[in-house]
Amino acid sequence: MTRDIWKHLILILGAIIVLAPFYMMLSYSFKSPGEIDRGTGGFFGAQEMMVDPRCVKLRDPNRDEIAAAAPQYPGRSDSEIRNAIMAQAEIDCSTRPVVFNYTKAFIEAPLLRYLLNGLIVTASIFFIQVLVALPAAYALAKLKFWGREAVFGLVLFCLLIPVHAIALPLYIMLAKVGLTNTYVALVVPWTISVFGIFLMRQFFMTVPDDLIDAARMDGMTELAIVWRVMLPTAIPALLAFAIFSIVAHWNDYFWPRIVVTGSRDLFTPPLGLREFKGDADGSFFGPMMATATIIVMPLIVAFLVAQRRFIEGITLSGMK
Amino acid sequence: MAGLSISSVTKRFGETEVLKGVTLDVADAEFVSLVGPSGCGKSTLLRIIAGLEDPTSGDIAIDGKAVTGTRAADRNLSMVFQSYALYPHLTVAENIAVPLRMRSLSAVQRLPLIGPFLPGAKEQRSEIATAVQSATEMLEIGPLLDRKPGQLSGGQRQRVALGRALVRDPAAFLLDEPLSNLDAKLRVQTRAEIAQLHRRLKATFIYVTHDQVEAMTMSDRIAVMMGGEILQCDAPSVIYEDPSNIRVAEFIGSPKINILPVELANTEMTLFGRVLGYITEAAQAGIYQLGLRPEALKLTQAAPVVTGTVAHMENLGSEVYAQIALANQTSRVTLRAAPAERRNLRLGAEVGLGFSLKDGLIFDADGKRQRRVEVAVTHEREVA
Ligand SMILES: Nc1ncnc2c1ncn2[C@@H]1O[C@H](COP(=O)(O)OP(=O)(O)O)[C@@H](O)[C@H]1O
Ligand SMILES: [Mg+2]
Repeated sequence: MTRDIWKHLILILGAIIVLAPFYMMLSYSFKSPGEIDRGTGGFFGAQEMMVDPRCVKLRDPNRDEIAAAAPQYPGRSDSEIRNAIMAQAEIDCSTRPVVFNYTKAFIEAPLLRYLLNGLIVTASIFFIQVLVALPAAYALAKLKFWGREAVFGLVLFCLLIPVHAIALPLYIMLAKVGLTNTYVALVVPWTISVFGIFLMRQFFMTVPDDLIDAARMDGMTELAIVWRVMLPTAIPALLAFAIFSIVAHWNDYFWPRIVVTGSRDLFTPPLGLREFKGDADGSFFGPMMATATIIVMPLIVAFLVAQRRFIEGITLSGMK
Repeated sequence: MAGLSISSVTKRFGETEVLKGVTLDVADAEFVSLVGPSGCGKSTLLRIIAGLEDPTSGDIAIDGKAVTGTRAADRNLSMVFQSYALYPHLTVAENIAVPLRMRSLSAVQRLPLIGPFLPGAKEQRSEIATAVQSATEMLEIGPLLDRKPGQLSGGQRQRVALGRALVRDPAAFLLDEPLSNLDAKLRVQTRAEIAQLHRRLKATFIYVTHDQVEAMTMSDRIAVMMGGEILQCDAPSVIYEDPSNIRVAEFIGSPKINILPVELANTEMTLFGRVLGYITEAAQAGIYQLGLRPEALKLTQAAPVVTGTVAHMENLGSEVYAQIALANQTSRVTLRAAPAERRNLRLGAEVGLGFSLKDGLIFDADGKRQRRVEVAVTHEREVA
């Protein structure tokens, strides 16, 4: 009994450590700047009406606008008219903090565009990775050819190479062929995933040889076996790999930062987060955290949906 | 339907020679069992016939046409695997349809979504459905068509595997220990069903098993394999009654055949120093081995050839097997007795055994059958 309690205590502690940043992120995305500064308001904040100072500043009328508005305020001085306009602006610009944070996230930066970019890049990467990894893994697991073990050794060796070590040469190569600032630059370097090859190969090892022989007897070519037999049986492992691949590339900041230098049109979501960094008034944590929340949400939803099969894949439970 | 011919096929895996020159001709519509102990190369031979493995040397011909170098799918053979090897993600009906879909639909027609609407696909698909239907009726698996293999029992999976094999009307069926994953009762039942299927389809069957009972009960001919060679290929009764090799005699028959050392000198054949008979034809003097099936031994009080004590008994109801430890010898022999004789057999009881030499099989020291050694039976007049 006591051992169980200890086990749970330790697990709860671990869970708190892991969840704390998410808690902060979510909480900040709800609160007003003042509450964030003072650290008040609990998890949701008080949600009192707040005034967006920037919005008000934008409405500050210049001389022409005061002159244009003069007929509406007969017999008032310019400064009185200005004060009236500003008072109206403050009313118009006051919102609930949560609305403020989340609308800012979409208005301040073209977040939808970034999300779309993220989708295009991660989906293309994953798609091509599967296209390459499955036949490679099949060959390494099930075909007999000279030098197979050596090739597999190379795959294992490639697992040890950190991406940062080859980032510079890769960048130079892409720059030389003029591909920086394109989707190609974001996608191509990741299309061969040695981890994917390794993971799928380990899974394919558990697929009985008889099944492949049966497929050959039934008239399938080797490629047909990969797509019609191995792929459907490997769905759990593929899902596990999908989570690894998609999380890694959706969240990647390092590589897009290197190859996307000019146009904001190619920004992926993590690059979009930078829009809120080091703002002059320094009080943009709320919208920033709202953006972060929006960015991680697709991943969390995807994980929850695929959770059970994902765990199956991780444990590489083969079939009987 | 077609005959098969295998000529001097050898196979090496690295240094080990798994098949050492196998030659076998299988006639059209014949049921041939390949039987032998585990690891003797049965599966390897079957895979070579199927085209899943290339022989190191030798040739395979199907229906008179050499198929060396022909891809497995193009040999039009069906194989049933020990593990059934059903596609786990397809339903029973889809599993059975796979070989037909691969053969009669083009790659484009097989595509999901658009495939069914292409010209010609509709007729092809309905033909396939009809073929699947008739196969499932034959095997009585109609109600299972929409299940996945994971939801089936072992026996049902086995039937689906058979269905997938027979739906495409192959030149020959190759079965690799198809019953070994079933429980004993189901095995007996399925054994009979496969034999019936063979008679009904009039197809060529090559059936691999390590179980001699399966081989004996189902086959037209049995090929006994050991150590990568076929020792003998004959009808079951011939294999049992007239084996050409002591290893065949020892492998086939349960309980095992009794082997006793006999000596041949000066036309006299002696067992443990006792004269059994006289040879009628000149044969080389020396040590021979006498094989006696358990049913060849008889309990006898008058003038037994050997005596011994009952060391162990197995009563199967319809018959009794007794192991007799021979007096003054280390060896034991097994005797089959009728239930009526059971009262003479008690553990530890002294019994006398006799036999007719005509029932004995004589092998030379190397295990080769010596058919030329004809013995004049004389043992009834003997010194006690
Ligand atoms: N792919 C292979 N590589 C190396 N050795 C093999 C291979 N396949 C079979 N063998 C060996 O060949 C021998 C015969 O195997 P097999 O034909 O499966 O025997 P059986 O089916 O009679 O039990 C075994 O000793 C086995 O280890
Ligand atoms: Mg085998």
